[in-house]
Amino acid sequence: MKQFGKIFKFELKNYLANKVFAGVTIFLVVLLAVVMFFPKIIDAVKGTEDEGDTTPGELAVMLVSDSDADMTEYVSAAFEEAFTDYEVKVVTDGADQIKQQISDGDAECAFVIDGLSSYTYYVNNLSMYDSNTEIADAILQNLYQMHAMAESGMSAEQIQDILSMQITHETEMLGKDQMKNYFYTYIMIFALYMVILLYGQMVATNVATEKSSRAMEVLITSAKPVSMMFGKVIASCLAGFVQLLAVFGSAFLFYNLNKDSWGDNGIVASIFDMPIELLIFMLIFFILGFVIYAFLFGAVGSTVSKLEDINTAVMPITMLFVIAFMVVMFSLAGNSVDTPVMVACSYIPFTSPMAMFTRIAMSTVPWYEIAISIAILVASVIGVGVLSAKIYRIGVLMYGNAPKPKDLFKALKQA
Amino acid sequence: MKLELRNIEKSFGEKEVLKQISLTAEGGKAFGLLGRNGAGKTTTIRILMNVFPANAGEVLFDGEPIDYNKVKLGYLPEERGLYPKKKIIDQLVYFAELKGMNHNDAIAAVDYWLDRLGMMEHRNKRLDTLSKGNQQKIQLITAIAHDPQIVILDEPFSGLDPVNAMLLKDVVMEEIAKGKIVLFSSHQMNYIEEFCDSIAILNGGKVVLSGDLHDIKRNYPRNRLVVRSLAVDKIKEEIGKRCEKTAEDELMVYLESEDEKKAVMTSLTEHYDIDEIKVFEPTLNDIFVEYAGNQV
Repeated sequence: MKQFGKIFKFELKNYLANKVFAGVTIFLVVLLAVVMFFPKIIDAVKGTEDEGDTTPGELAVMLVSDSDADMTEYVSAAFEEAFTDYEVKVVTDGADQIKQQISDGDAECAFVIDGLSSYTYYVNNLSMYDSNTEIADAILQNLYQMHAMAESGMSAEQIQDILSMQITHETEMLGKDQMKNYFYTYIMIFALYMVILLYGQMVATNVATEKSSRAMEVLITSAKPVSMMFGKVIASCLAGFVQLLAVFGSAFLFYNLNKDSWGDNGIVASIFDMPIELLIFMLIFFILGFVIYAFLFGAVGSTVSKLEDINTAVMPITMLFVIAFMVVMFSLAGNSVDTPVMVACSYIPFTSPMAMFTRIAMSTVPWYEIAISIAILVASVIGVGVLSAKIYRIGVLMYGNAPKPKDLFKALKQA
Repeated sequence: MKLELRNIEKSFGEKEVLKQISLTAEGGKAFGLLGRNGAGKTTTIRILMNVFPANAGEVLFDGEPIDYNKVKLGYLPEERGLYPKKKIIDQLVYFAELKGMNHNDAIAAVDYWLDRLGMMEHRNKRLDTLSKGNQQKIQLITAIAHDPQIVILDEPFSGLDPVNAMLLKDVVMEEIAKGKIVLFSSHQMNYIEEFCDSIAILNGGKVVLSGDLHDIKRNYPRNRLVVRSLAVDKIKEEIGKRCEKTAEDELMVYLESEDEKKAVMTSLTEHYDIDEIKVFEPTLNDIFVEYAGNQV
């Protein structure tokens, strides 16, 4: 236990004093700061531009040409009301002249209306966010309906009543608001994925470096393999956690500083309004998931003699993890988190950290299922930890070619 | 203090690496563990260090099964290496702490040894900025800083210049004088001969020779004479016994038995101009080659 403490301290210091670790953390914090301050920055920039734009007469010009002279009055009135950003001009020019004016930049766009049911929209560059035609469609449909109803003898008031009827509704949520939970589940799963892969690789490299520099010869005769393994893995877990905390903590802080600028952006707000119980589950599954994979990575790291061999050696674990990640991500995207596959995955120790967390976040999972899943995971963490310490003890003394799994199992049986 | 290995056996897979290894090393004396590459020295040391258990046999300390929580061991492995990118003081203190020292004692002990080995100026440098010999001195500190009862040194002199070798010799002598058990493993026989009171030679996972070095030498058949003379060629022609010239231009005469020693010596001194004549005493090197020469 005393040894574990020393190893833990030494390894943790390694991470925290590592320039790359500090650099990546600072970079992520700065990146998040930029993202979180983005609306404010945009507002500031836009604010100065808008001041120049608001002088009258400088509105973009929209030309409206209607073949039916009777309707022109209604149409232009309705357009003027709807397109407040434009100076709406009624013209009687032909299509060629209108096109010419748009190409010359005298007008931004034009509606050439053939009747109440069809029109041609002219515009120079169709912007991605151009919703003018949708607005025009609504206006014309409205006019058409009014026109039709008026012709059938309805009074203006009756028409008004019919058209302005609003349907009201209320949603009563019995389970989870998947829409709201989707984004932070997504972010959390992704964070888990990134952190496990990154730190798993680090643990493997750490072990392999000690082996290739032969520091292992002294280490293995000074400390118990179990202390070494647990010390390393838990130190890396804490380092990862510190990094996540720094990143998410600063994101939370920056968000609260800019809450007004973000306004009612539901997605962003939902991410920062994560319920505390989910956060606790996140923590539990993060730690357990991290540790179980870190053990595997550490054990594999101990079997390679050269640092170059690590990538090949960790491939099976990486694959296992990527598959788990894919299953969860597809289920999440397909909005089907309670499929049999997902349920099975939420009990398998290597997939349950992501699968069970996703189910808890996106659906309603009975407490005993969660308890069973966590119990299996905890037991597996201990089992995998002890097993990986054994592999480690055998692995670190094997030089030359990385042992085949078959040889490892043989050695394990004897140990 | 007494360290005993009794009937240690170890196999890796099908391969039997150690067969019935038994050794006894005593405090205040140095013990030489010899053997060619692959003879089983490192495996023996690892079992002794509790890196892995033996399949059979036991390790006794003062007659009791060794308690690794109480008995401290220090080990200088043949494959040297520590953390190349770490500050020397940091890693030395870490290793001393792993061996059970508290932080302040560890710093004091490491500083003492850095000073003793003349490495104080490198205290705060990274290990990989040091020369190989100096790195080796740093590694020696990991083996002795925590004041272990048993010190195991695997090829401690390889790579050291004569001045550093002398320094290390003094350090080893001090450790022996403190009453510690010092276990040497080396292929440099002159050092073993200089330090070790008893030896064991391993060959093919077996102890082929072990005991007190003086006894071993004394019990060696005394059936060879070394003759130094200007007339060695003449003697060689006329003596009528199997003999050969050594590299030092001396003549090695092989006797049928020890009994004819006196007669041959007398006859030689009477007939030839002899500078020196003595019974051949084998060096450890000769003994080693004889016992470990052909792999079992």
